[in-house]
Amino acid sequence: MGEVILTMKGIDKSFPGVHALDHVDLEIRKGEVLALMGENGAGKSTLMKVLTGIYKKDSGTITYEGKEIEFANPRDAQAAGVVIVHQELNMMNHLTVAQNIFIGREIMNGKLINDDKMNKEAAKLFDRLNIKIDPTEKMGNLTVGRQQMCEIAKAISHDAKVIIFDEPSAALTESEIEELFKIIRDLRDKGMGIVYISHRMDEIKVITDRVTVMRDGSYVGTLITKESTKDDIINMMVGRVIYEDPKTESNVPKNAPVVLKVENLNAGKMVKNVSFELHKGEILGFSGLMGAGRTETARALFGADPKESGKIYINGQEVDIKNPMDAVKHGIGYLSEDRKRYGIVVGKSVAENSTMATMDEFTNGPFINKKKENDIAQKYVESLKTKTPSVDQLVVNLSGGNQQKVVIAKWLVRNCDILIFDEPTRGIDVGAKSEIYHLMNELVAAGKSIIMISSEMTEILRMSDRIMVMCEGRVTGEIGIEEATQERIMHAATLRK
Amino acid sequence: MENFKNSPLVKKLGFNRIILCGVLVLMYLLFSIIEPSFVSYSRIISALNYAYFLGFLALGVTFVIATGEIDFSIGPVMFCAALIGGKLFVDGVPMGACLIITILVGLVFGLFSGFLVAYMGLPSFISSMAVMMLSKGIGSVFTKTQAMSWPQSSAEGGWYKSLIKMNVGGTDIPTGLIILLLVAVVCGIILNNTKAGRYILCLGSNQEAVRLSGVDVKKWKMLAFVICGTLAGFAAIAYVGSYTIVSPGLGDTFNNDAIASCVMGGTSMSGGIASIGGSIIGVMIISLLQEGILAMGFQKDYQYVITGIIVLVAVFADVRSRRKKN
Repeated sequence: MGEVILTMKGIDKSFPGVHALDHVDLEIRKGEVLALMGENGAGKSTLMKVLTGIYKKDSGTITYEGKEIEFANPRDAQAAGVVIVHQELNMMNHLTVAQNIFIGREIMNGKLINDDKMNKEAAKLFDRLNIKIDPTEKMGNLTVGRQQMCEIAKAISHDAKVIIFDEPSAALTESEIEELFKIIRDLRDKGMGIVYISHRMDEIKVITDRVTVMRDGSYVGTLITKESTKDDIINMMVGRVIYEDPKTESNVPKNAPVVLKVENLNAGKMVKNVSFELHKGEILGFSGLMGAGRTETARALFGADPKESGKIYINGQEVDIKNPMDAVKHGIGYLSEDRKRYGIVVGKSVAENSTMATMDEFTNGPFINKKKENDIAQKYVESLKTKTPSVDQLVVNLSGGNQQKVVIAKWLVRNCDILIFDEPTRGIDVGAKSEIYHLMNELVAAGKSIIMISSEMTEILRMSDRIMVMCEGRVTGEIGIEEATQERIMHAATLRK
Repeated sequence: MENFKNSPLVKKLGFNRIILCGVLVLMYLLFSIIEPSFVSYSRIISALNYAYFLGFLALGVTFVIATGEIDFSIGPVMFCAALIGGKLFVDGVPMGACLIITILVGLVFGLFSGFLVAYMGLPSFISSMAVMMLSKGIGSVFTKTQAMSWPQSSAEGGWYKSLIKMNVGGTDIPTGLIILLLVAVVCGIILNNTKAGRYILCLGSNQEAVRLSGVDVKKWKMLAFVICGTLAGFAAIAYVGSYTIVSPGLGDTFNNDAIASCVMGGTSMSGGIASIGGSIIGVMIISLLQEGILAMGFQKDYQYVITGIIVLVAVFADVRSRRKKN
């Protein structure tokens, strides 16, 4: 067992309204790979951001090489030898590999940049990693896997003693992952402390020595990888008590007709052969970890992004959905996870947003009938209990929950039969949350059907009649609410096919 | 001050527009003090010459800017249309047909620009520069690089001049102003009371949200460019109505004046907010400046300096108010 190089103890961090980290402990040792695991929002990334000085901790101590420290910013952390290899690569595609590695600390020759020297230094780094990359190649010409190698080279060029990998394998192919693991083992054997964040259970088993699990911003525990099973880890990840009562049985009659059927939908890298059915009056939950391809599936289904293949049937009839116009025509409404970007037009009023998808019903010839528009908007403000001084109010001035209600109103005005709720309660306070749940239940009771994408386990278990679980673009499980448990869902969500 | 800002009448007219009207009046008073000849009917009529064509250009480009795009081709397109119309008249085409063709030339350029931006996905900043060069070139080629002279009002076919100015018993009646204001009213109705205007404004505010509402965003974006091009055709007639002669290879400076008018009037360069009334007031300010600066014996360069400063102030106010909201 290696010597401890970095310890985080009792780290606490709050953001307005969220207790993101609640007295978290972490111990990184030399010559060891530590897995950091947890569901979406468990606090892994926040913890790493506190460590590298992106966020300031509220309390707790960080001890690095025997001294208590607090990095002021990532530059400080780098200089001291603590570096992150980010999931999203921060690379400039039109610069060369060497220029990228030395960005911000270029090797100079007087006032001029010394590209020769940088190329030589970069080549030395690659030698140390035992990989062959031409330092003069343009970054954009490399595969994602190779770009990641460059990011690692950049990390070790800082004389790193602790390297944090944030979901490094997400975009890599099998053979690239092999190469990555080889490098990680090499670095480990040279005595570096390594933190490996990933959702992939099988990788955790292969590459890590210990596993630290976090849940809802708290430290749960640490296991020795060799001595634990996949189930042990999953149980630690999900072992929370569910306060709100989960649904125990489906409210959908056995013979409810299928209103939407999706067959072998393929779109880009994130949607692979997705098939499912949605019944009348059903809330179909889509669960999965970040990057599982749920939003991408919804967008492809809705025609927001192009799809490569797959058939869509509505009420038994095959339909061709090429763009959102087609989807809306067929009675599908989409409430995006990113309300501000894709849901509302912030600079416009509640009334204008409410009729956005249904303009034709509120016009006399080319002219808008503002009275009719205001009346319908008012009607939905009342029935959804939207808190706004008037329908003329700009939506930018409403709270998140009320903005969400305006988006819902938009699709209700359109009278859509199939509604896709993508993270319906993200960024919404508790009171408004239960109102939205109530509303969804009323909608299905009235014969509408809902696809609900949610990253919150409690929400999935509370609302869904049936649950589809996705992992890396594929459907990896279909669970009726009667048999659904957190463990079963998490199992499927980490199942790589 | 806050009370004044929040009173219903001020809200309806727009605080910025009231300020702008104040600037217009102050400018006129200032010019009148320095140059007493300014207090005359003929001087005002003369100042309006610049306002007619610039007004149509500014009205048109207001729609494009409302969608969050930009069009740098309107000045040259106006000249191209005027050159083609003038050449056809010289070649014996009747005046009525020439006027219609002039407008159609503008419309076709609008269709083309709209197609490039909305359907081909080109950035309007660049594509409109390309269209600017195209229109300059086409105008030149069509007239074999000759300047074109439209007929004087006394000549055959000169009746088109009365669309801009009508001489009744020795006094010039600014018919052009009446037509410009009528068109402005129509534009205001389109922008604020029709489906087209609603979508054009929403596009500028958040195009992706509008698209995901199942709206044909390409069609409406294209329409904004078509309106803009067509009004550039109107502007061509207004231009020759005032100045009679058009030369090939020119027209770019009018882009700047038209866009400056819009920005001054409160139309946001990032889209989503537009004011037809504001654009018209902006046009009047620029036209008055033009006349005033020349009357005081300064070169046109001074007008550019002052316009530049006013535009900067307007853009600064726009950016600041948006930052406050966020």
